[in-house]
Amino acid sequence: MSSRWRRWNAAVHRDLGYLCAGLTVVYAVSGLAVNHRSDWNPSYALRETAVSLEGVDLSDPTAAGFAERILAELELEGHFRGTFRPDPDTYQIFLEGSTVTVDLPGGTASFEETRERPGLRQANFLHLNEAKKLWTWMADLYAVGLLVLAVTGLFVLRGRNGITGRGAWLTAVGVAVPVVFLLLYL
Amino acid sequence: MRFPRSLAALIVLAACQPAGDAEEQPVAEATPAAATQAFDVSSFTGTTYGEPLTLTELTPVSAILADPPAFIGKPVLVQGMVVAVCEEKGCWMDIASDKEFEKIQVKVDDGVIVFPLTAKGKQALVEGVVEQIELTYEQALAQAKARAEEHGEAFDSTTVTGPQTIFRIRGKGAVVAD
Repeated sequence: MSSRWRRWNAAVHRDLGYLCAGLTVVYAVSGLAVNHRSDWNPSYALRETAVSLEGVDLSDPTAAGFAERILAELELEGHFRGTFRPDPDTYQIFLEGSTVTVDLPGGTASFEETRERPGLRQANFLHLNEAKKLWTWMADLYAVGLLVLAVTGLFVLRGRNGITGRGAWLTAVGVAVPVVFLLLYL
Repeated sequence: MRFPRSLAALIVLAACQPAGDAEEQPVAEATPAAATQAFDVSSFTGTTYGEPLTLTELTPVSAILADPPAFIGKPVLVQGMVVAVCEEKGCWMDIASDKEFEKIQVKVDDGVIVFPLTAKGKQALVEGVVEQIELTYEQALAQAKARAEEHGEAFDSTTVTGPQTIFRIRGKGAVVAD
């Protein structure tokens, strides 16, 4: 009886391990990226450059072709989306993947480029469940899978290296780590 | 090749997940009729964020900003260009008004709806409820500082002179044009 139970446990652990491997890599990579959100944007690479617009007449932002003249001066090409004036001194031009913010009195502009970080943006999209809908259930299923992996993993080995021997100590250390941090921070 | 029995057990487990209960929608108060105009939501295509749009009357952003107290607690459907997006969590975006120098913020619950940074410059249709937020001087200062840090700008504390009242839209759903 015990041997049959062990075989089932090992089989579930093995097959679930194979099934969860791909998503575990995605979640782990995204987790590392998102953990350091205060230091960088994990999904987008933002690059801002200050530029001068000395050669452009900025006196009348309502004039026809105003945005086109600025884009020509900055030698910017790209899909034009629109313009916006948040206040009388500022003029913004939105292109696909970039924004030009013009300081009208100062005659300067900042050019901000926004690019998705390939791979990371997609990993974060799944990890942070931006997809919603059916993905929510898929992610729940994955979480249950991890839970089952953790429990079945405790009972794969018997003897000295099993849960009654070395495994017990290592499991205790694993449980103690979050407990210690909770005691420190809460 | 035989189908692994452990996989079959997993599939049975997944099939036993209970179906989610439909959430009850609160009955919303009507928006001031004079400000709105009929709008065919189905004519606006793009990527949907959050709940599907249900309102069919479009309210100009300028009408909300002209008399915010009249709209507090009211559901509104607004349209405009996305001119800013929360860089850290995608938890808010600013929608340009139909009048110069005006915009309104659409705030959503963190993680529930995530607006992409790439939405800037695109047209958006947003449904939500207008809300009023009272900030103490300290809260206004902290918010201005956080926003400056988010944009990598130097923080000038003199720009905040006292407590602030903010009118914004608590977003429930949005469609951002592709």
